[in-house]
Amino acid sequence: MIEGIGASQCPTCAALVAPPASYCPRHPVAMRPVVLPGAGEIVSFTTLHSPPTGFRAPLHIALVELEGGARFVCHGSEVRGLKIGTRVAIEAIDSVYYFSHLGAVDRARLFWRRAGRAGDRVSAIARSLAKRITKGRHRASS
Amino acid sequence: MLDVWVAGADMTRVGRRSERLQDLMAEAAHGALRAAGLERPDAIVVAAMNPEEFLGDGNFASNVATCLGFAETPALRIETATSSGAAAFYAGFAQVAAGLRRAVLVVGGEKMTHLDTPRVSELIGRSIDPYERSYGATMPALAGLVTRALMAGGVGAHAIAQVAVKNHAHALQNPYAHFRRAITVNEVLESRMVADPLRLLHCCPISDGAAAVVLTAERAAVRVAGVGQGGDTLALRHRAELTSFRATQAAAREAFAMAGFGPERVDVAELHDAFAPFELISLEDTGLVPPGKAGRATLDGETALGGRLPVNPSGGLKARGHPLAATGIAQLVECAWQLTGRAEGRQVDARVALAQSIGGLATNNWVTLLEAR
Repeated sequence: MIEGIGASQCPTCAALVAPPASYCPRHPVAMRPVVLPGAGEIVSFTTLHSPPTGFRAPLHIALVELEGGARFVCHGSEVRGLKIGTRVAIEAIDSVYYFSHLGAVDRARLFWRRAGRAGDRVSAIARSLAKRITKGRHRASS
Repeated sequence: MLDVWVAGADMTRVGRRSERLQDLMAEAAHGALRAAGLERPDAIVVAAMNPEEFLGDGNFASNVATCLGFAETPALRIETATSSGAAAFYAGFAQVAAGLRRAVLVVGGEKMTHLDTPRVSELIGRSIDPYERSYGATMPALAGLVTRALMAGGVGAHAIAQVAVKNHAHALQNPYAHFRRAITVNEVLESRMVADPLRLLHCCPISDGAAAVVLTAERAAVRVAGVGQGGDTLALRHRAELTSFRATQAAAREAFAMAGFGPERVDVAELHDAFAPFELISLEDTGLVPPGKAGRATLDGETALGGRLPVNPSGGLKARGHPLAATGIAQLVECAWQLTGRAEGRQVDARVALAQSIGGLATNNWVTLLEAR
């Protein structure tokens, strides 16, 4: 299930920020509320081995670019196999956001919403699944 | 705008110090005044990032002025997070350039080593966007995100490690440095992981220290050729670019425009290497090295003492140490010493020096150019 993430858009520069903010960081104008799908690509990630008080080590923090360009900071339970560019889903647990690798059904939903013609949609889903399977094999054999 | 001159410069030894911060600042300030041959400044600018929480002291400009023996001299305090020292220099520069004051003492310092590391990290981390902080983001965490993106863009682990190795080697010749100990690339690459892929020996230490300069309208050996400031979003997630800092680029543009010359004239530089990869980013952001070439230049020894453009001859934040608000001024003290032949053992033949200071995670950066006349 892809969650919706509350965000804001600047009417002047169209920049999207998440979570919502009153003013655009670069323009002194009030932003409009929007909702973005909770899925995107890993921009970067790190693991803190001595996190600040109140957090348990290891603490995984990722910067994720949501569709439309808003970047979002969230936690993850696992970074094994994670790369810059990896597609992840984001979900809130107790109003804290976590990323996780996208499942096949989530990918299908994403492509279904994004792609144009029905035939393209189907082939995109197939390509995505095939890539996932070959990647899995590759990892298993290495 | 009047010409502004650096008439005197001095600093304390950086490291774990037992003295009070005010006493460290007095040592640096009186040293700079002596070097300038000045008994009393017209005004004082104090830089301290967070004396309220590090020390429990407020009203800090008056506090320091009184401790220096200048209780009746006008004093103000400047704060732009980790670049506070460079900002204070600008405030002093602006007063003299505008003709408001003839001689301004700029003094900055921080005392941190009496607190434990998690507490120091937390206090420095207050300069991070509150939402990102609520996810446990510390300065090393954000720098870790930047470093991973930098490495994905092709900058190698060896080039990044070499920055720390070089700066430690430089500090061997600096009696004011926190660390006077050589390290190797392997030691860096095998040191404890702090914020993957950032390791302990990529990070600057927690230091105490103070630094001061005297700025005058009266001609001296070193002229302030240009000062520039640049800003960027408090939140890292609000930026499209992770591997270059807009705030440095804007500051450099402004400083070079004021100076009327370009990066090709710079002979020596002090850059903000709070994390070793930041020196590579800063080299390119200031235009000292073409985009994408900082790693290669570092590995080829171009930025080492004896190279084409020595960077951080003092040892930088990495090895000289990073007493927060002292740092921006300590960089300019090193630049002034380099330009006046006072950097014994690490002397560069230099006419133009550049200092670059990063505030927060590159939200409020400064580039300052000094020129020997």
